[in-house]
Amino acid sequence: MTRAETVIVPLGAMLAGMIVFGAFCAALGVNPLLVYASIWKAGFGSWYSWQNTLVRASPLLLCGLCTAIPAGAGIIVIGNEGAVVVGGLGAIASGLATLSLPPFLSLTTMFLSAAVCGGLWIAFSVALQHYRGVSAVISGLLLNYLAIALMNQLIEGPLRDPSSLDNPASYPLTPDHRLSYFSGTHVHHGLTFGLVACVLAWFLVERTTFGFALKICGGNVRAARLSGLPVGRLVVIAGFLGGACAGVAGMVEVAAVHGRANESLNAGYGYVGILVAFLARQSAFGVVLISLLVGGLLASGGMLQRAHGLPDATIAVLQGILFLFILLSDTVYGRFKLPWAQSHEAKPDAAAA
Amino acid sequence: MQLQPEGLGAWGIAVALAGGAMRGSIPYMFVSLGECLTEKSGKINLGMEGVLLMGAVTAFGVSDLTGSPWLGVLAAAAVGLVLGAIHAWLTQQPAVNDVAAGIAMIIFGSGLAFFFGKRFVAPMAPQLPLVALGEWSRVGAIQSALRISPLFFIGIAVAFLLNWVFTRTSCGLKVRAAGDDPQAARALGIDVNGVRFIAIAMGGALAAVGGAHLTLYFPGIWSEGISGGQGLMAVALVIFARWSPRRCLAAALLFGGAQALGPSLQSLGITGYYYLFNASPYLLTLAVMVATCTPSRRLAGMPGALGKK
Amino acid sequence: MTGTKPAPPHLAARGISKHFGSLKALDDVSIEIVPGAFHALLGENGAGKSTIVKCLMGFHRADAGEMSIDGRHIVIDSPRQARSHGLGMVFQHFTLIPSMTVAENLVLARPGLPLVIDWKAEKKELRAFLEQAPFKVDLEARVDTLAAGQKQKVEILKELYLQTRLLILDEPTSVLTRNEADEVLGYARRLVDRKELSVLLITHKFREVIEYCDEVTVLRRGRLAGAGSTASLSASRMAEMMMGEPRVQKDVNRSGASSARPVLRIEDLRARGDNGLEVLHGVNLTVRGGEIVGIAGVSGNGQKELVEVIAGQRSALSGRITVNGENHLPTRALLRRHGFFTLPEEPLRNAAVPWMSVAENMVFGVFDQKPFQRSGFLLDRAAMDRLARELIARFSVRPPSPNLPMGNLSGGNVQRAILARELSGEVRVLVAANPCFGLDFKAVDFIHDLLLETRNKGAAVLLVSEDLDELLTLSDRIFVMTGGTVAHETTPAEADLTMIGRQMAGHH
Repeated sequence: MTRAETVIVPLGAMLAGMIVFGAFCAALGVNPLLVYASIWKAGFGSWYSWQNTLVRASPLLLCGLCTAIPAGAGIIVIGNEGAVVVGGLGAIASGLATLSLPPFLSLTTMFLSAAVCGGLWIAFSVALQHYRGVSAVISGLLLNYLAIALMNQLIEGPLRDPSSLDNPASYPLTPDHRLSYFSGTHVHHGLTFGLVACVLAWFLVERTTFGFALKICGGNVRAARLSGLPVGRLVVIAGFLGGACAGVAGMVEVAAVHGRANESLNAGYGYVGILVAFLARQSAFGVVLISLLVGGLLASGGMLQRAHGLPDATIAVLQGILFLFILLSDTVYGRFKLPWAQSHEAKPDAAAA
Repeated sequence: MQLQPEGLGAWGIAVALAGGAMRGSIPYMFVSLGECLTEKSGKINLGMEGVLLMGAVTAFGVSDLTGSPWLGVLAAAAVGLVLGAIHAWLTQQPAVNDVAAGIAMIIFGSGLAFFFGKRFVAPMAPQLPLVALGEWSRVGAIQSALRISPLFFIGIAVAFLLNWVFTRTSCGLKVRAAGDDPQAARALGIDVNGVRFIAIAMGGALAAVGGAHLTLYFPGIWSEGISGGQGLMAVALVIFARWSPRRCLAAALLFGGAQALGPSLQSLGITGYYYLFNASPYLLTLAVMVATCTPSRRLAGMPGALGKK
Repeated sequence: MTGTKPAPPHLAARGISKHFGSLKALDDVSIEIVPGAFHALLGENGAGKSTIVKCLMGFHRADAGEMSIDGRHIVIDSPRQARSHGLGMVFQHFTLIPSMTVAENLVLARPGLPLVIDWKAEKKELRAFLEQAPFKVDLEARVDTLAAGQKQKVEILKELYLQTRLLILDEPTSVLTRNEADEVLGYARRLVDRKELSVLLITHKFREVIEYCDEVTVLRRGRLAGAGSTASLSASRMAEMMMGEPRVQKDVNRSGASSARPVLRIEDLRARGDNGLEVLHGVNLTVRGGEIVGIAGVSGNGQKELVEVIAGQRSALSGRITVNGENHLPTRALLRRHGFFTLPEEPLRNAAVPWMSVAENMVFGVFDQKPFQRSGFLLDRAAMDRLARELIARFSVRPPSPNLPMGNLSGGNVQRAILARELSGEVRVLVAANPCFGLDFKAVDFIHDLLLETRNKGAAVLLVSEDLDELLTLSDRIFVMTGGTVAHETTPAEADLTMIGRQMAGHH
C-alpha cells in the first residue's frame, strides 16, 4: 500500500458514496446539491454546528477505541454496546452512592467504576475466545443482550426513581455531580475523555513497549509465541483497555447527557463505534477523524428534516452507503498503478516445485 | 395481546404460554433458518437485523398499498433476496471483513427501513389471515390466544424443506460442501462462490419474511422499535441449534417461549426478574458455548469454513 | 457399472522439462507407464516428483517434451482433460468433505448428478460398485469419523467410481500407520492384478517400492537418475540412484571440543499435527554445548512439528524439553536466561510480521530491554533504527532500508533479516530449520560460517534440514528423522549415504 493510496482511496470511496446518496435524494425529488450543502452547514458550517458535531463525536471516539485497541492485538470485539451499558450502570450506582462526597471525588469514582465494569465485560469476552475458543463476536452479541437485560432490571428495580413514571429511570444525579461543559458551549467534557483516550491509545501502541508487544500479537501470533510473548495475557489486557473506554462512554451518557440511567443508555453508539474502528483501519488517529466525520453526519439529521422534509433516518441511510463503499474500497489497494506513486515491490523468488 | 388469565388457572397459563411461544417464535424461526442456510455455505451474515427491518417495512407498505398481506410477504422476500445478494457480493470481494460488512448492512438496512417507515400514514395495514386453533374452547381468552399466524406453519414447513434440501438434493450437498471444505469442494468442480451467493441471498429472503410477520400480525403497526433484536440473536440461535434446520425450529420455539414467559409471569403477579427471564435464552446459549467449545476442536456440526476466508 | 471395463491407458512422457523462474524443476525427464503396471516414482525432496505428476495431470504446462496415450500424441491442459483420458490423482491432503458420509462424497463427485437425488437408486449403484471392489467401506459413515487409512481408501474408491484407469498416488502413506499402508497398497495391488488399473506411486519408501511395485523410475534434482524393474534393482542400488555419488566433504573450520554436558534435551516428545493425528511419536534427542546436531529426513516426517513444539507454536501431548536442566517453557525470561534462539522455516510466515518494518521485526527479541526500552515502558525507536542499520549492513539485507515493510523483501532477504535477529545476540542454544532455503551460494556460505562460529563459541545447535549436503558439511552428529521419531545416529565421517538413504526411506 502506498502513501498516496491511503489518502486517495478512502476519499474516492466517500465521493462515490456521496454520489450514490445524491442519486437517492434525487429519486426522492430533493436536490442533492442542496442536501450536501445542508449537511455541511449543519455539521461543519458554523461554531454552533461544530459543537453539535463534537457532542455527537464524543461517544464515538470512546466506542471506536473499544474495537480498535483489541483489533490491534488480533481480536475482533463487537460487544461495545454491552460495555457502554455496564459502564453506565457502574457509573450511576457509584455516583448515587457518593452523592454526599465532593463532586470531584464522586465523578472520579464514577469514572473508575465505569472503566472497570466496561473493561471486565470485554476482557471476559476476549478471555473466552483465547482460552476457550468461543468466538468473541458471538459472546459479544450475547453479552450485549445480557447487559441490556441487566440494565432494564436495575432501572426498574433497585435503582428506580419512583417519580419517573412513564419512562423508567434511575434516581438522578444532583446537578453539581454531573460532568460540566466547556464554558460557553454545549459541548460536555465527554469530548475531553474521548480525545485524551485516543491520544493515550495512540501513545500506548506507537510509543510503548507494551503497545509494541500488542502489535506483534496482532500481526502474527506465531511470531509472538516464538519471541516468548505472553499472548493470552496481552490480548486480555487489550480487551480490558478497550472495554474501559466503552465503559467511560457509558459514564458520560449518565453523568453528562442524561444525568441518570435510563433506556437511552442503550443508544446504539456501540455498533457505530465498531464501524468507526474498521473505517479508521483500527488506528487511534483514524478514529478521531472518522468520529468527527460521522459526528457531523449525525448532527445534520435535524437540518435535513427542517430544510428538506427528509426524515432523521436519511442520515442512517447515508451512513450505511458510505460505510459500504469504504469497506469495499479495501479491495482497491494495489489494483491501480499510479505513475507518480512509487511502491517498493520486490520481485518474488522463483516458485519451488 | 394482553391475556387476563384470572379464573383460568394453570391450564389457561399454559395455553397462553403456548400461544405466546408460537407467536414469538416466528421471527426467530425465519431469521435463524435464513442464517442457517447462509452459514451452512460457510459465510456468516451479521446484517440480518437490517434485513428483518426492511422485510417488516416492505410487507407493511406493500400490504397497505395493494390490500393484500400475502403480496406484502412476497415483496418482503424479494427485498430480503436483494439485501442478501448485496451482502454476498460484498463479502466475496477480497479484503472485506465479514463482521464489518454485516454491521454496515445493519446500519444501511435499518436506516432504509426507518426512512421508508416514516412515510406510512396508515396506522395499520391489512393483516395476514389467522389460523384459529382455539375454537374448541368456549373461553374467549383462550380462543384469542390460539389464533396463530399462517407464517408459523409455513416456517415449520420451511425448516423441514431445508432439511430435505440439505440431504436429498444436489444443491444442498453442494452448499454443505462449500461450507465445510471449500478447497475440496473446488476440487470437485463446485463453484463455491456461486453457491454461497445463492445461499446468502436466499437466507436474506427468509429473514425478511420473518420481519414481515412483525408488521402483518396483531397489533400490525409499524414502529421503529418493532424488532426485538431477533436479527442479531439468530446468529447465536443457529449455533445453539448446531446448524440443523429442525433444531433451529425447536430453538426458535424455546426463544419465543422465553419471550412469552415474561408477560405471562407478570400477569400472574410475578414481577421480579422479568428482564432476566427474557434474557435466559441468551444466557443459556452462552453457557452451552462455554461448556462445549475448546480452542483446538471445533463445535460439532459447525461448517468447517466458518470464520475463515 | 456392469460389463467390461476399458483397459488402462499406456502413458508415455518423453523429454519433459519445466522451470519456475530460474529454478529448473525438471530437466529432460521421461517416464513410461504400461497398462496394468504398478509403477513407483522415487526421489528425495525437490527431486521433481510432484512437478512431473502435476504436468501429467494438467496442473502445469511443461516447457518442453511431449506426452502420448496409447500411442497417440496428446496435450493435457487442465485436470478435466486429464480425467477425460482416464487419469486421476489422489493427493496428500484429503479432498473429502468431512461432515458428509462416504456415500454423499462419492455421489457428489459424480458428474451429471440430478437435482433431486434418488438415494435408493444411487445407493443401489454404489453397493453394486462396492461388490466389485475388494474392499468394503461403510457408506453411511461420516468422513470425519474415519481413520486416515480409511479416508485414503475412500479417496481411491472415489477415483475408481469416476472410472479412473491410471491412478496417481502422491505419497499416500505419509499419514498412515504401517498396517494401514499395507492395507491401502495391497488394495491397489489387487486392482492392478485384475488389470483394471495402472498405478503410479510417488514415494520415498523403499519398502513400498519393493513389496508392491513392478517398475520404478528414480529422479534426482530434476533429472532422471535411473529406471528399471524392481526385480532387477536392489535397495542399495535404488538408494545410490536416489542420493547420487558420495559427496566430497567440504573443509570447515571446526574448533573447540564439544562439552560433555547436555544443553538441550528432548525426551519422549509426542505431539499432534494439524490434521489431528499424532505426528511425533516419542522423539529423543540430546544436544551438547559446542556441537551441531543435524536432523536429516524427507519433509513430512515430523520435522516441522518438532521445531514448532520447541518454539512454543504447538503444544505437546507428552514428553519433556529441558534446557540446561530447566523445563523449557517459551517465556521471554527463560529464552533470555539460556540464550535460546529459534530460526523456523518459512520465516515470513512463522517469525515475522509482514506489515511491520524491517527494523521493528529485528527487535522482537529485545524490544523490552535496554537500550530499546527507556524509563521502563517507552520504546526507543532511534535505538531500534541504529541496531537495524548495523544488522542490515552486517548481514547484507537488500534493499538496505530499515523502514520498509518486511513483506516487501524477497524471500532470501527476509531470511537474512531473521537470521540477523537471531544470530546477532549471545547465542547459547540455537534451533534452526532449513536456514538456507532459497538463498544463493554466497548467502549459504555466509550462513554456514555463522552457524559454525556459533558452535565454536560453545553453543548447542540443532539443525533440521532437507539438504543432506549441508548437514554433512556442518554437523558433528547426524540423526535421521523418519515417521515421527529420530533414529540412526552417525557422524559425517562415518556416514554411509546408502544407509542414510535407506533410513530416510524407512527401510532399516
